[in-house]
Amino acid sequence: MSGTISTDLIRGNTVSIILNILRQGDSYGYEIYKTIIELSNNQYELKEATLYTAFRRLEKEGYILSYWGDETQGGRRKYYRITREGEKRYEQNREEWMFAKEILDKLIKGEIKDGE
Amino acid sequence: MGNSKRYDDRKVKRYIDNLFTDIGESQQLFDLKEELTTNMKEKITDYKSRGMEEDQAFKEAVVSMGDLSGLVDDMRKVGQDKAKQSVYAAMSNRISTAGIVVGSLLILFGILTTAMLFFMDLPSESVVGSAVFVVPGGALITYSGLTRETQKKYGMNKIRAGLYAISVALLLFAAFVGAISGFATNEVFIAVSSSMLFLLVGVGLFLALIFTGSDRRKK
Repeated sequence: MSGTISTDLIRGNTVSIILNILRQGDSYGYEIYKTIIELSNNQYELKEATLYTAFRRLEKEGYILSYWGDETQGGRRKYYRITREGEKRYEQNREEWMFAKEILDKLIKGEIKDGE
Repeated sequence: MGNSKRYDDRKVKRYIDNLFTDIGESQQLFDLKEELTTNMKEKITDYKSRGMEEDQAFKEAVVSMGDLSGLVDDMRKVGQDKAKQSVYAAMSNRISTAGIVVGSLLILFGILTTAMLFFMDLPSESVVGSAVFVVPGGALITYSGLTRETQKKYGMNKIRAGLYAISVALLLFAAFVGAISGFATNEVFIAVSSSMLFLLVGVGLFLALIFTGSDRRKK
């Protein structure tokens, strides 16, 4: 894990990242943690503490809901499922991100050529 | 291997418990601890399967948890706020109350109709027939009782409580089938043989549940 991406930059997008994973199917804490590492090609690790804090907030806001699995061995897992509200929120976040990305790209890299 | 797994489990449990010491107990804290424990154990197993040493695997798992102080504060607030706790528990306890009421009524209905038919001098197999209401009644009461949060215990998870309810239903049904086929044929061996399957499955399930459960007692 090189961890070069700044935490400030990613913090605002934690919710979108979790919702993106859950919209592809129900999952539980550790699996989501692993998926994030995999999606980033081993370049980013979201700490589980951040993950669980986000789960609690998202559940309170109605974007996800949780249920216990029926594992018989090794303790039960708590699974999360995205709600309709959560899907809407994801789509909205995604659009906002695409828009912001474009503008930030211009602001950070752009130069005004004919600077008179 | 088996031994070192138990050692890990104890270590994880102690670590998680230590994180949340001197915090007021609540159903939410109980659930969170269980969630963290399961996921952490799974992570350690993963690390070990990649050839990591036991102690190293535990240390790595702790590091990758990150800073849990936010969650600890959150849980402290929940523990202090009795009102919040009761809101969390109220819904499931209301459902459980309804279940106990309906279950009791079903059992009572089964017993009363059986008594009524008995005094109507009907053949005994039809007298016993209406006792079947005791089966869903018993299952409902079992489920509702176990999912309920009480003074001494946290509510059981729904699937597990459901399995308990099924095992109770099987046992009651075994007794019912035994009685009805026994009365119908007047043969004890038929009574025993027809209830045997339900009895065995019911007892098996019940015992399996008893020996696998996690502790729900409040401290």
